[in-house]
Amino acid sequence: MAEPILKVTNLIAAYGPIIVIKGIDFDAFEGEIVGIVGPNGAGKTTFLEALVGNIEVREGEIHFLNKRIDGLPVMKRRKMGMMLMPQENYIFPYMPVKRNLQVAGFLNTDEEKKELLEFVYRLFPVLAEREKQIANTLSGGERKMLSVGMSIMANAKVILIDEPSIGLAPKIVTALFENLKTIKEETGKTLILAEQNVKILNIADRIFGLEAGEIRFCEKTEDLDEAVVKELYMGE
Amino acid sequence: MISSGLINGLIMGGVLSLPVLGVAVVYGITGVPNFAIGLIGVFGGFTTWYFLSTGLITAILLGIAVCFPIGFFLQRVLLTPLGRKKSADATLFFLITCSFGFIVEGGIRSLFPRATINIALPRLGAIHIGNVSADGFKFVALFVAVGTLIAIRILEQHTQAGRSLQATSQNLKLATLMGINTDLVFSLAHGVGCSLAAVGAIFWGSLYTLDMGTGWHLGFVGFIIAVIGGIGNIWGGLISALLMGMVMSFAGYLLGGVWQSVILYGIVILVLIVSPRGIMGSERAL
Repeated sequence: MAEPILKVTNLIAAYGPIIVIKGIDFDAFEGEIVGIVGPNGAGKTTFLEALVGNIEVREGEIHFLNKRIDGLPVMKRRKMGMMLMPQENYIFPYMPVKRNLQVAGFLNTDEEKKELLEFVYRLFPVLAEREKQIANTLSGGERKMLSVGMSIMANAKVILIDEPSIGLAPKIVTALFENLKTIKEETGKTLILAEQNVKILNIADRIFGLEAGEIRFCEKTEDLDEAVVKELYMGE
Repeated sequence: MISSGLINGLIMGGVLSLPVLGVAVVYGITGVPNFAIGLIGVFGGFTTWYFLSTGLITAILLGIAVCFPIGFFLQRVLLTPLGRKKSADATLFFLITCSFGFIVEGGIRSLFPRATINIALPRLGAIHIGNVSADGFKFVALFVAVGTLIAIRILEQHTQAGRSLQATSQNLKLATLMGINTDLVFSLAHGVGCSLAAVGAIFWGSLYTLDMGTGWHLGFVGFIIAVIGGIGNIWGGLISALLMGMVMSFAGYLLGGVWQSVILYGIVILVLIVSPRGIMGSERAL
């Protein structure tokens, strides 16, 4: 079996004296979509922030591309190929759409930038139409598309997205998730999505259930009892 | 009288706009209001004055250049590490930067032989606009301010460094997640801001006199004008400086010099009550 691109062992992370992540084991393989589901306050955002280095890890290890990274700063993890799109404030609000994408892709070569921009515009034609528009004048759905576009431009090997569906109309969520699936299929990137929306079950290869800072289960999506997951972890 | 008031106001605004740009760059990007920036600029002014005998251009460049590392390392060594502490707030930065201002003041007093100077830069002769005539050199300050602003805009639009500055000022967390070295961006911005303050102090020292009081005055008035323009909004800073120059000029003509400050600070209070993010808007409020 292939080695995971990302492997987490017994991770403990805290905000000051409050321990939020209580010894998590987690892995993700190249080219898969991993869903992390759980109710509000389960620790999904904290876990993602700890993976990219925004929150100090108290104990445990994070290995990325077979290298231990839990002592590295955010910038180094980003340069190695891991990136998080946060749940809120995920765009540069006073820049035009195209410049948001350019900033996100600044570590790439000129050729990569061109190819990635074409891919983003093919995936989200509305961004091409509005490339000169100031980002904070876009609708909520368009902003999410921009943020996903930025994560593509960043050309990271592992893209972590914190609740991409939050605040969006159901129809837009379906379209957005289809696009995430296309990204996986066409680029082979690993996507790790923290979600509370049941539609994650339609695109994820595996699901981790997180509750009170601990992993309750890890299953292939097809093996899950959807009804139980919906009731326990998604407020359905 | 009206044309005279307009032109004088424009000139005063032009001179004031240079330290305002320094404040706007520093606070707009780092989020730290540096109340020592005027004193740092004055240090640059004194350096230019001291080295004038070595040649005009060399002295001016030295005065501007010496302020860059002061701002850079002030941010790198003191303000960035402090900003990471949860207890860091605006009051702490006010106290720290004011204290640093007093250290710079002591440095100026101990390094230079005089406490009040005038920087003798070459004059351009009088320029006549209608029935108003003014020292042509005073217009240079305005052109330098506008030129600096355009240069900053070009930098932002067309270079990666400029985009990184813009990204950091708009969304620090996302810029960090994108892999931008935001600590370096902060230090560079602070260095550039202090160099701009030096340009302002050199002009001020040539048109009037330069002493320690000027340093505090330029720092505080620069900050106030930047707030009215919409702090961090450099176009807002320039427009605000020109408007405030006009206000001070007309208040002086119509009511007498003693009323200039009363009118100016009255408008400051009014603007902050009605629009805390300034007349041109800003990502940051006080």
